[in-house]
Amino acid sequence: MEIPYEVTARRDTGLYNAKIGVWLFLASEVMLFGGLFSGYIFLRVGTQPGIDNPWPLGASVQMVLAGFINTLVLIASSVFVVFAWVALKERKWNVFRNWMLGVIACAAIFMGIKAYEYTSKLTKHHDVKLADNSILGGTILKDEDGVRTDRIRFDAESVTVDFAGGIPGFDSYIADEDKEDLEFKTEEGETVKLGDLDSWFMGHRRAALRGLAEMRKKQRAGTWDDQKDTPPKMKEKLTASFRINANPRKIASRDETKLNFHDRTIVEGKLVGDTITMELHSINLQMVPLADQDSVMAWKLIHESTGSDHVKDNYMAVREEKLDRVKSYFKDGVIPIKTLQGPMINFHNIHEHPHGHGGHGAEEAVQAHPGDHGSEEEGAAEGHEAHGGGGGEHEDVVIEIPRDQTLFVTNHGPRAGTYYAIYFTLTGLHGLHVVGGALVLAYFLLFGKKMFLRNPEHLANRVEVGGLFWHFVDLVWIFLFPIMYLM
Amino acid sequence: MSAASSTYDGAEASGHAHDEHDHHDLPFWKKYIFSTDHKIIGLQYGFTALVFLALGFFLMMVMRWSIAYPDRAVPLLADLPWFQSWLDADGKVTGELYNMFGAMHGTIMIFLGIVPLAFGAFGNYVTPLQIGAPDMAFPRVNMASFWSYFIGGVLMFTSFFLPSGSAKAGWTNYSPLATTTDLGFAHQFWTGQTQWLFAMVFLITSSLLGAVNFITTIINLRAKGMTWMRMPFFVWAMLVTGFLLLLAFPPLEVAAVMQLMDRLAGTSFFVPSGLNIGGQVFDASGGGSPLLYQHLFWFLGHPEVYVLILPAFAIVAEIIPCNTRRPLWGYKTMVYAAMVLGFLSFIVWAHHMYLTGMGTSISTFFQTTTVLISVPSVILITSLLISLWGGSIRFNTPMLFATAFIPMFGIGGLTGLPLAFNNLVLHLHDTYYVIGHFHYVVAPGTVFALFAGIYHWFPKHTGRMMSEKLGQWHFWPSLIFMNGVFMPMFAQGMAGFHRRAFDGGVAYENVANQLFVSGDSFFGKFFNFVFHRAAGQDVLMIDLNLVMSASAFLLAISQVPFIINLFLSITKGKKVNSDNPWHATTLEWSTPTPPPHGNFLTEPVSYRGPYEYSVPGAADDYSPQFEPGDDGDAEAPAETEPEKTETHA
Amino acid sequence: MATLTPEELAHHKKAYTAVGIALGVLTIVTVLLGYFHPFDFGVPGLDWVDITIGLVIACIKSSMVALIFMHLNHERGLIYKILLFTFCFFLGLMVLILFAWSNPIHEAFEAVRSSLS
Repeated sequence: MEIPYEVTARRDTGLYNAKIGVWLFLASEVMLFGGLFSGYIFLRVGTQPGIDNPWPLGASVQMVLAGFINTLVLIASSVFVVFAWVALKERKWNVFRNWMLGVIACAAIFMGIKAYEYTSKLTKHHDVKLADNSILGGTILKDEDGVRTDRIRFDAESVTVDFAGGIPGFDSYIADEDKEDLEFKTEEGETVKLGDLDSWFMGHRRAALRGLAEMRKKQRAGTWDDQKDTPPKMKEKLTASFRINANPRKIASRDETKLNFHDRTIVEGKLVGDTITMELHSINLQMVPLADQDSVMAWKLIHESTGSDHVKDNYMAVREEKLDRVKSYFKDGVIPIKTLQGPMINFHNIHEHPHGHGGHGAEEAVQAHPGDHGSEEEGAAEGHEAHGGGGGEHEDVVIEIPRDQTLFVTNHGPRAGTYYAIYFTLTGLHGLHVVGGALVLAYFLLFGKKMFLRNPEHLANRVEVGGLFWHFVDLVWIFLFPIMYLM
Repeated sequence: MSAASSTYDGAEASGHAHDEHDHHDLPFWKKYIFSTDHKIIGLQYGFTALVFLALGFFLMMVMRWSIAYPDRAVPLLADLPWFQSWLDADGKVTGELYNMFGAMHGTIMIFLGIVPLAFGAFGNYVTPLQIGAPDMAFPRVNMASFWSYFIGGVLMFTSFFLPSGSAKAGWTNYSPLATTTDLGFAHQFWTGQTQWLFAMVFLITSSLLGAVNFITTIINLRAKGMTWMRMPFFVWAMLVTGFLLLLAFPPLEVAAVMQLMDRLAGTSFFVPSGLNIGGQVFDASGGGSPLLYQHLFWFLGHPEVYVLILPAFAIVAEIIPCNTRRPLWGYKTMVYAAMVLGFLSFIVWAHHMYLTGMGTSISTFFQTTTVLISVPSVILITSLLISLWGGSIRFNTPMLFATAFIPMFGIGGLTGLPLAFNNLVLHLHDTYYVIGHFHYVVAPGTVFALFAGIYHWFPKHTGRMMSEKLGQWHFWPSLIFMNGVFMPMFAQGMAGFHRRAFDGGVAYENVANQLFVSGDSFFGKFFNFVFHRAAGQDVLMIDLNLVMSASAFLLAISQVPFIINLFLSITKGKKVNSDNPWHATTLEWSTPTPPPHGNFLTEPVSYRGPYEYSVPGAADDYSPQFEPGDDGDAEAPAETEPEKTETHA
Repeated sequence: MATLTPEELAHHKKAYTAVGIALGVLTIVTVLLGYFHPFDFGVPGLDWVDITIGLVIACIKSSMVALIFMHLNHERGLIYKILLFTFCFFLGLMVLILFAWSNPIHEAFEAVRSSLS
């Protein structure tokens, strides 16, 4: 049996099957990215200044150069695809092969640059929102053991697990080097290896639930005897001593001797470290009214860590200068509330100084400030354009932030705010499309020769269809680049 | 038996020789498991969907038990160890279990039951046959579509047995409830709420692949002479449904991906600033919008309603002309109405969201479009109704279900009108009135049409008829108890019963204890007698729960004849004496029984419109599309269609 | 696009190269626009001018890709119809949900209330 119109076009519709198919698929892709773009607009328009986490200006947090190069790479790959298709129409396999190799190389370069951008955001840039909504930007440093200081560091002696809950997750935060050999002792004196913990837990959980069913059945029937029958054991305390560096998101509450995990596990022992050490790069007071900005918690923390009010004085001076400059643009000197609460006035790179000239707002180039001593954390301090400033040496400001003074600690990953969330989701899905498209085109390249010899038109059709998808991916990026990187 | 059609009867005997080569050499797993034949895939869809429908029904029965008897241990479940975490000490259903089953009842019924049965099974089996295509345009994509659906279904089903239980934030999974539910579990991937999202991504993929395939097939694989306006209404409905799935599902996929990010990566797409969970500020950046989720969800959600109902119209529109022996009344009008319906269904979604606090402008816009969309719906239902007029109706089982569909859908549709206005929704939102309304559309509406379709096309594949007697035993109790379940919901809803009260509303005394009818009335006496209550006791609103729950259990029993009938008839049913036992006119009845791989023995040609019954002057009371004739209406088909026929796409 | 003569193919190649170069140039223009904000003349709050110009350029670029690279310029009517429907619903999704932020009745009510107090 043969399906009609697989290679040749049907006369009245003028199309072969795969072409209709791919255009329909692209129509649904339009709706997919349309949904994401409308989500972008909805979230951006709906962000309430002073209440919601502020949206940064794309150009101030992105590596524009990387995005620009990626745009050119994708455009080049699109050109290569059409040339590969033309080569097939001319029945020239070798020419087709070369163009197609170019396309796949472009895809690889694109994904490489993307990975570089992601890594930088995830590991080098952090935000700490304090209890009064002032936001400190910078890099969270590691402690002397090499553990990032936003982790809760804890010496554990025992763990209590709850069989009514799910498999406990504390074990993924155990920091001991020889943790494979770690053994837990149950209340009955049984030993459980760390690697067997999950299956041990599930076995006991099943038994506990069976016991519970049995007990309730007897109770309903009135045959339950408090003296003779024992209720099932729903909790178990395991002893072992180990070090844990817990992700604070997994902890519901904690004190000096106890960590209560969200998954109902209780770890007891001794708290070792719970203070975040951060190298400060920027201060963002968009969520604090102007009048309160001279008394935010950030100043106190910086004063306690560095012993000087230099950063605060600097911020205030720069702010006044910006306000004066902006005021002159408006009639009667009244600044609209949106501008007043915007990043232009309230976002401050700590190495930015008054009497700066040219440019405006967050993205303005920063004057170099010679430091008295060399930076110990040179590597961590290098940021991308906007954060790092105009280059040159400057004084590092390292501060200690007790966790109970923070509201929200994050890297510049998807958690950092709705802007980052939509950025990672959009570019991530787009990246998946790039990978998928490259795989399909690579398939034509590797396994297409046979079809080329048998029916070159069929292969040309397939490449045309694969190319249509590839151009669509390019098309999405054409919109994605300006709205994410520039505006 | 007409002389003309007997030539086709004869074809059966010699039928299988032709495709021996294609079909019978295949090993079992390739022929029946990983098949690329649209008919086998259709059957796979059908059986899987029926299993899920039964599962969804079971979940509903547990819920109805909890509503009717909030103070009694639930039978069966109370003894199962795995469910102990969600039952209380007395073995009663807790709110958590109710939420879990409620969410999964909706999800399973819609995404794993009705849509796969209507679109996946009937669409797959019948569409290529009716347009005279050898198979779908992309047979392997078709197979991928089924297996994607199957994986999604398995994920949904297994999520019941995870320590967290399945999803429990309603079938709509509104954020931020759905974002924050079960976040405590350490292994977030293995929570029901997350699995729901993963399963949805598979189901959406399945629907998208299916939609692309259907539309391409209908556009490009129509047989010679099968012009746009000669396509059966069934095919038109599938085309429109395909477009609905194609364009409406991606925004839901976006919503699912965003919610997945919220759960797994800690983003704040749908988490507003300062969200407070159990006295603690939720650990997220905030700044997101729960409203965005609802917009994206209902952008799918409303077209999805028409995905549920259009195939039902399609099936009924095939069965009614066949059994009244009259043409479908207003075929062209129905086609255009279906298209308008499809188009409008994309711009009515926010009528599900009147109470979200969104602006008044948007409310006004969506009220207008919602009222507008009732016009094409009424055109469709009226055309079907008028089609009955003056016909000599054969009341066989498929026709019974098809006729019952009309008033049942009518009730569902008309009770939807008040819900188009936001001032009435203030009172009716999330009450049982809404539940009654959409269940009338989907349960006695679509499900009846699907039963009709099963009875109607069963002989095409098996060569045997289903038992009429068992069919009658299936139909009449189903009709009575369906109404027994859903009719009282309108009364309860207008009295203010909330849909998510797991105790059936007994805790809300001022709502629960309103009088329904006095104990001295006929209904009161009957009620007290049936439920062994003291004579003369008034029937309160809360007591209607007993009626509904009893009806639900009896409805389950009424499906037993159907199940017996379905399996028994495969081997024991009365053999058909031709390939066209109903004397129908569309192309699928010209194939051998069952249709071989590749469907048609000779190249199918369509000579006339799809519903040429009782043509004056014709020898028979039906003039099939596939028979050349001299009855004046038949024209020799052009080699290909003229260009202009495209304009209807 | 079933059969193409060598001349047509050569013509195609020229068009593809030209479009590729045009896309690159427009990208540079967009970046410069986004970086230097020339059209807000230093006035804060006029950013929308740059944003609009940036989006218009993006639209021009994408239509070039769609028309030339994706061969929409000589595609059949059927494809256009499918895309037209898609575009309608895409616009509906984009625009209609933004209506959620518009609330004239509430605003009028607030205006009256603030004038009373």
